[in-house]
Amino acid sequence: MAVKTAPGSPEVSANPPRTTPASANSVATLIRRPESGALIGTLAVFVFFGMFGGEQFLSPGGSASWLNVAAELGIVAIPVGLLMIAGELDLSVGSIIASSSMTLAIVSGYWGAPTAVGILAALMLGLLTGFINGLLATRTKVPSFVVTLATNFGLAGATLGFSRVITGTTSVGVQPESWAKSLFGTLVADQFEVAIFWWIAVIVIVGWLLHISRYGNWILAVGGDTISARATGIPVQKVKIGLFMGSGLGAALIGVIQTILYNGAQVANGQAFVFNSIIAVVVGGVLLTGGYGSVVGVVLGTLTFAIVSQGIYYTGWNSDWAALILGVLLLVAVLMNNTFRKMALSSATPKKKA
Amino acid sequence: MTTKSTARIAWGRRAMTAAAAVTVLAVSACGPGGQSSGTATGGGAPASGNVKIFVIGGKSDDPFWSKVKRGVDDAGKVVSAQGGSVTFLGPQNYDNLGPDAAKLIDSTLSQGATAVVAPDWVPDAQDAALKRVVDKKVPLFIYNAGGLEAADKAGAVNFIGTAEHNAGLAGGTYLGKKGLKNVLCVNTLPGATNTEDRCSGLADGIKANGGSAKQLPLPSSQFGNKTAVAQAIKAAVLNDKTIDGVVTIGTVDSDSAVSAIQQAGSKIKLATFDTDDIALKRVKDGTLLFAIDQQPYMQGYLAVSMANAYVRYGLELPQRPLLTGPALVDSSNVDQALTGAASGVR
Amino acid sequence: MSVPFLKLKDINKSFGSTQVLTDISLEVKPGEVLCLLGDNGAGKSTLIKVLSGFHEPTSGSMEVEGEPVRFRSPRDASDRGIATVHQFGGTFPLMSIGRSFFVGAEPVKGWGPFHRFDHKFAGEVAVREMQGLGITRITDGNRLVGGLSGGERQALAIGRAVYFGAKLLILDEPTAALGVKEATHVLRIIMQARQKGLAVILVTHNVTHAMKVGDHFAVLIHGALAADFRKGERTREEITDLMAGGEAMAELEAEIAAYESAHDGHAPDPEELEKMLHQK
Repeated sequence: MAVKTAPGSPEVSANPPRTTPASANSVATLIRRPESGALIGTLAVFVFFGMFGGEQFLSPGGSASWLNVAAELGIVAIPVGLLMIAGELDLSVGSIIASSSMTLAIVSGYWGAPTAVGILAALMLGLLTGFINGLLATRTKVPSFVVTLATNFGLAGATLGFSRVITGTTSVGVQPESWAKSLFGTLVADQFEVAIFWWIAVIVIVGWLLHISRYGNWILAVGGDTISARATGIPVQKVKIGLFMGSGLGAALIGVIQTILYNGAQVANGQAFVFNSIIAVVVGGVLLTGGYGSVVGVVLGTLTFAIVSQGIYYTGWNSDWAALILGVLLLVAVLMNNTFRKMALSSATPKKKA
Repeated sequence: MTTKSTARIAWGRRAMTAAAAVTVLAVSACGPGGQSSGTATGGGAPASGNVKIFVIGGKSDDPFWSKVKRGVDDAGKVVSAQGGSVTFLGPQNYDNLGPDAAKLIDSTLSQGATAVVAPDWVPDAQDAALKRVVDKKVPLFIYNAGGLEAADKAGAVNFIGTAEHNAGLAGGTYLGKKGLKNVLCVNTLPGATNTEDRCSGLADGIKANGGSAKQLPLPSSQFGNKTAVAQAIKAAVLNDKTIDGVVTIGTVDSDSAVSAIQQAGSKIKLATFDTDDIALKRVKDGTLLFAIDQQPYMQGYLAVSMANAYVRYGLELPQRPLLTGPALVDSSNVDQALTGAASGVR
Repeated sequence: MSVPFLKLKDINKSFGSTQVLTDISLEVKPGEVLCLLGDNGAGKSTLIKVLSGFHEPTSGSMEVEGEPVRFRSPRDASDRGIATVHQFGGTFPLMSIGRSFFVGAEPVKGWGPFHRFDHKFAGEVAVREMQGLGITRITDGNRLVGGLSGGERQALAIGRAVYFGAKLLILDEPTAALGVKEATHVLRIIMQARQKGLAVILVTHNVTHAMKVGDHFAVLIHGALAADFRKGERTREEITDLMAGGEAMAELEAEIAAYESAHDGHAPDPEELEKMLHQK
């Protein structure tokens, strides 16, 4: 697929490309970025809770509060966001978290296998579920919303059934080996979860994939128009299956991290991540129907969600209101993102003479 | 008390027609005085075998209900050995608990239940369905939630479980006697009668001993995310330095609380409602002061056994309500509890 | 010029029991514009899908530059130099012009696993190619495709196909959604491609547009080739008639003419006309 040089077009040499200097276009360039709305949102909620949350919110402890929540949510949300950019949804992450954490707890806790074996089994389970999701969604043409909703239920049932048959209970403890504890479940400076570093790694890898490697173009194209993407020779099915496996792996990693951090697993873990990850992605400027979005946007969306959901506990207000604020935030963020997207589209059509 | 008795007697008379004389005699021989007027097989269930007991419970992946179900299953072995059957029904989630439970209760009738065991979680939503069971002359046992009051209101035979307020009271008294002054009750299911009762009982128990307690309600968007719960607890603790104790309404949340206290770097005392393997180990190593056990296994086991004995033989116990807790597990009795936990019943 | 770029012989396509294309035989030569005309539902889009590899024909043979071919996927067709441009340009509204231009064939720099998509090169090439097709307004390859007009999107898609060495351009209703001025621009771009020696298949139901650029015309009715003729062999009216009702319409006219001569030049009254139509 090497790039061929243009077959001789005489007009081209007579007409050298005219590119506008970057400085003149910097505002337009900024508006065109999918994360510009999300950036405003993150700054706004940070300032808001900085004002009402007092010193505690801004202290290391307070920052760790929303960073820890954001890190765990982000590890799930970034691959889910990538999948949503490609036009598919994954609602099965909740059960993947539950099943992978139970797998680790049963293999390494109940059966006493080395922690590495349990971790590997848990991650493989995430990949396998993602593969099944991808295969079903691409082969059957059933919308991924339905496919992954079904796997979310199915896997929850299987997790419950197997753990009761194997262990007789639905909550299993595990004492991870020390290397695993420090790699997945320690608190740096007694405050910051090591998951934050995993989050950074996921940001870098997925950011590279979407924005720098050529595969990012494939993902955007598949989400923008699947049929056209297929016509250009992109292996649409493989791309989608790969992305489903990615979101399965992200969820399984969280299953591993939480199990090791809290020394045990319960079958009901993780369902909160299903919709919270979608909220983070959408607040981050990813178009729900696909084809538009950025990793930086998802990171900002995740931070916004974490700051709002944790910030309220620093204000001293009754936390009954936290969900209300989240709901309002979601709506405002989506409206703002729509406005920015429209501006991005129209910024290319000023009626000027070139 | 009086309204209850008359209701029960009236119901008993109607049931009389279907009763076998021998059973009636057996009941009057060991029955609780005049209160039980020779009630027998409700709804005309034959004693010859097809006893169909339906049990309504929580989500089956809920660790607490998993233990209730173990009790139900174990008692069910006797029922099926006698030729009957026990069916456990639970909702898919807790988002719409009252109406969902009411629908499950109604479905037991259409499936030909000869006895129904159900919690009364949300009386307003469930009472009509419970009344339909009693109206069809199917014996009803309330367990786990609602208390004797709900059982009497619905016309049920008995209540099996604990009073959540009492459980809270026991925990609060324990903490108060330890000298704690300001305790946080972390409620991840705000609005549910039993969790609210736990927290209010806790507050009452501490108040009687010179301290106070307040509730930290966490919204359902945090459900199933231990880290979000942990960080919320940490925030509350950092914000109010006078807090010297944290009690969680369930064992999953106590994982979060342990992490939160560690992150906040404080010496706050911890305790929890309910028990599981991990919580009991924490009681043993001193991380948790105590765990309040309502012995869910016994609730499932006793409710099914009583329903079976009642339908089949007309047997009834004099204790109303039949309490399975609270049993407070602390360092003094944790070893025994751990044995039970290893078998998945505590 | 003697060897046709693409040659179809007796192509049939059916979906289950529904026969969609019947015995289609066609040729298109390099430097020639073949206009594929037909009413809605005549089978034009199915034929395009067969040509571009989305569907395999049920029977019949295809040759590209004299060699027999079978397209099992769109990839096979594009490997043989066949590029299809859809009504709305087939492009991605929320992608940048540069990204969209290179979808599926991204220019990369760097080595091994650290290769990266060359944004600067992509943007520059896309802008240069569009300017080459007379779209001078676009100077920034980072703009989103959704901000382009319909004609500009067509230019982007055609420019892309030409850049990647397409030898046959299949344009599916490129002017249908455009205003007069933009449509004219697109037709000019088609002429430009023809001059470069590309074969072009223009699918349209706009006879005026077809007659402006076409060298060769094929009319599809009910999945069969109703007429195949070269420029100047038919008048605009004949073509319109063909598309509307095929030969049937011409026969009707002949009958009306016969009626008129038999009735002293009076046109048939509605009742009589109705009778004639029912004889069909």
